[in-house]
Amino acid sequence: MILHILTKAPDSSASTQMQQAIGDQDAVLLIEEAVTAALDPSWATWQQCKARIFLLSEDLTARGLASIAEDNELPTLEMDGFVSLTEQYEKTVTWY
Amino acid sequence: MATSDALLVIIRHAPHGSNWLREGLDAALVAAAFGQPVHLLFMGQGIMALLNEQGSGAPGQKATLPTIDMLEMYDIDKLWVAEGALHAMHLSADSLVEGISLIADQEIPGLLQQHAKILNF
Amino acid sequence: MQYGLLVMGAPYSSPAPHSALRFAHAVLARGHKIAGVFFYHDGVHNASSLMAPPQDELNLTEAWAELNQQHAVQLDVCIAAALRRGLMSESEAQRHGKQAFNVVPPFELTGLGQLLELQQRTDRLITFA
Repeated sequence: MILHILTKAPDSSASTQMQQAIGDQDAVLLIEEAVTAALDPSWATWQQCKARIFLLSEDLTARGLASIAEDNELPTLEMDGFVSLTEQYEKTVTWY
Repeated sequence: MATSDALLVIIRHAPHGSNWLREGLDAALVAAAFGQPVHLLFMGQGIMALLNEQGSGAPGQKATLPTIDMLEMYDIDKLWVAEGALHAMHLSADSLVEGISLIADQEIPGLLQQHAKILNF
Repeated sequence: MQYGLLVMGAPYSSPAPHSALRFAHAVLARGHKIAGVFFYHDGVHNASSLMAPPQDELNLTEAWAELNQQHAVQLDVCIAAALRRGLMSESEAQRHGKQAFNVVPPFELTGLGQLLELQQRTDRLITFA
């Protein structure tokens, strides 16, 4: 089981490559530029990883996207939740 | 297929565009020199590192091919190439160096699971 | 748990160092240990003691040094990646005949082997790039 961390926007090649690498049990954390995925609830990865994909809330807030994420009912995590994910998933791979 | 104690180094950047490729391959070589089994997975633009006709870059910019040729001496003989990305780039395996193995896109998640350690460049 | 961090983003060009620092503090707050941070690729610029950002911005070099002082986190900088980007310690400056140096303790120039060793001896290695 792998935690995939995406730091680039959903239309980046990093994002495409991550999508190809995600396994059935894997989780995804969207940080930095990747939080712009909050704008597009139809982004394929939301469905692909349902219940195992999260946005980092402080990066959303910094970019003025927190309420949009909330309106779109997308799951968010605080930094503490980020650490907790890394506790649960033995391996992490960062896509940048 | 892959052994579980091997380090998987993922290469996603092309030669000459940045230093990611060089420094990624350096990490693979050092790991191998330390006796760690190392496998490589080339995705996206990283596949460009394997083109068999590539030369050196701008003056003073090192060529990548000599490093690719060195991999075998370090016992790095598993070079996986993402098949979908190869086709998406309109390349065929014939234009790549010898000794690569194609991996179907749907097998990539399994490859990552099998490796205990992963570094992504 | 023992954590290791790999930082490959340059300060003030990439958000990676900021993310890494905030993550580091959250890791410590949850009672884990951070064995070390390894700076590679453009991340080596985090070690520059000549960094002088405006006062209302976080001085990243100092923030890393503080992490070392307060939590004994080892700060290793890849020597090959550093030298090619003009980051060097006093002894390296002497060796290369340079008039200045900008890497001082607690940052240490070290080989890439240190990264692999960090990955081997920690439970988690998290990359920020």
